[in-house]
Amino acid sequence: MSDASTSGDVEPGHDHEHHHEGPGYATPQAAIEESEREQLAYVMSLYVGTDVDAPDFVAVVDLDPDSETYCEIVDRVEMPERGDELHHFGWNACSSSCHVDGLERRHLIVPGQRSSRIHVLDAADRRNPELETVIEPEDVFEYDLSAPHTVHCIPDGQILISMLGDADGELPGGFLELNEDFEIEGRWEPPGEIEMNYDYWYQPRQNVMVSTEWAAPKTYYPGFDLEDVEAGNYGRKIHFWDWEDGTVEQTIDLGEEGQIPLEVRFLHTPESTHGFVGTALSSNMFHFFYDVDADEYRAEKVIDFEAREHEDWDMPVPGLTTDILISMDDRYLFGSNWLHGDVWMYDVSDPSNPRRADSLSVGGTFGEVQEVRGRELAGGPQMLQLSLDGERLYWTTSLFSSWDDQFYPEEAERGSVMLKADVDPRTGTMELDEDFLVDWGDCPAGPARAHEIRWPDGDCTSDVWQ
Amino acid sequence: MTNHDATLEWPDGRSRTIEVREDETILEAAERNDIGLPFGCRTGACGTCTGRLLEGAADDALAHRRRPRALKDRHLADGYVLLCLASPRADCRIAVGSSVHTELVDNPWK
Repeated sequence: MSDASTSGDVEPGHDHEHHHEGPGYATPQAAIEESEREQLAYVMSLYVGTDVDAPDFVAVVDLDPDSETYCEIVDRVEMPERGDELHHFGWNACSSSCHVDGLERRHLIVPGQRSSRIHVLDAADRRNPELETVIEPEDVFEYDLSAPHTVHCIPDGQILISMLGDADGELPGGFLELNEDFEIEGRWEPPGEIEMNYDYWYQPRQNVMVSTEWAAPKTYYPGFDLEDVEAGNYGRKIHFWDWEDGTVEQTIDLGEEGQIPLEVRFLHTPESTHGFVGTALSSNMFHFFYDVDADEYRAEKVIDFEAREHEDWDMPVPGLTTDILISMDDRYLFGSNWLHGDVWMYDVSDPSNPRRADSLSVGGTFGEVQEVRGRELAGGPQMLQLSLDGERLYWTTSLFSSWDDQFYPEEAERGSVMLKADVDPRTGTMELDEDFLVDWGDCPAGPARAHEIRWPDGDCTSDVWQ
Repeated sequence: MTNHDATLEWPDGRSRTIEVREDETILEAAERNDIGLPFGCRTGACGTCTGRLLEGAADDALAHRRRPRALKDRHLADGYVLLCLASPRADCRIAVGSSVHTELVDNPWK
């Protein structure tokens, strides 16, 4: 198997840079070279499920070290209703549309995981985004879909959202497509292609998409119940799709070692057919790749995080690997073990043989560092985001409100934090920035949770190249 | 239309009695009275609005409009109800607030 193997269909001599007119960057390397240091972050912030009677909001966080408001939430865009559980979000356009003249990376698509309400924010003014449009849940339910999760723009200006359930919060899930005017275009795929859904990523140049499985909304919404694992109500499969047709070409069952495959990433290099998927409950990392000889995808477990004994707990505690990301240069895979309290970094130059580079033990059940700037940490590292140059890794601590309540009940009382590590990609090391802390415990209406992080000008978990 | 008194009781000892019509849910009646209760999907799938009936059999005092999918049989047997779907059939006392929902599942490793 060669690194970054291709499977045909690539136009010979295709040089993307010559007609780069739209949003984003021509190549992943251009994103590294041409981007400026992140000055702001958008962070999903939530009150759902708490006794704070306030709507969820999108926080604008100042990340400019020279600013007087560094590490502060400088703006909050409140949602119109309560009960959303803001979770994951995305741009109307990314580097996949860099050939589309006139399209801008301007609108944030912000779904409510519990409400199925989809908000569109106009972020033309990066420090003061405004709510522009709302798609009401009833309009989503008409397509027999609910529980919106991953948002990706697709190369012609449309937007695709993975949906985890049907209109009643049961299976099957599917995909909802929005048009350029943020209206529902319809179901993207023929109904019935999959049962469970969660995250997805696509490589248009390879005409492939990969999707993963959490569970039916009615299963994971109330909290994590081992009975559901025993009953087979949680996912362990990944699906490879024909991107043009929207049909499943191949399904791989990851087995006992692949329970609850969540975040999935192809390498950024648009020709690559390699990627990684983190399986949260089994706490393993699978490498998947297109096997040219067999003419199909294969998945192999390449990292195994062992459960740890805790003197006060009855059973060995799994790491619960809940988020992963790949650096823009495709060299490092980062991840978070939310229950253990680890942020880790592996060198994936050879994706089939990841080499552990470094890790930080911070927060969570076993973390060596349990407070930053005098602030006690209430949860483990969770959603990650990396600067485009790969030198600053940030993370928040909330997973999902009802799951937080089970494993880290103090998160509701103290609120989430955002932390940062300085990364040296040359030596493959990370160092916790002990001066950096953004505290959602200080929000005006009361302590809030914080989840996914995005940069205004593209990041390592949203941009795809056509 | 028949009305019933629903007494909402929070863990901190606060309580409020509101009149609820048989054709509205406890959550709708609370909103009409400007009382903020936790909720999420409003379709019975998420359990965020879970309350617990403090006396009487759940079936006699409250009727769920549809199947409360977020609640398992063991939860229904223990008097848990989804306030986004539940309408009163008699006067009732209900434990409310976000901590009720957290009783549905434990940390399985602890």
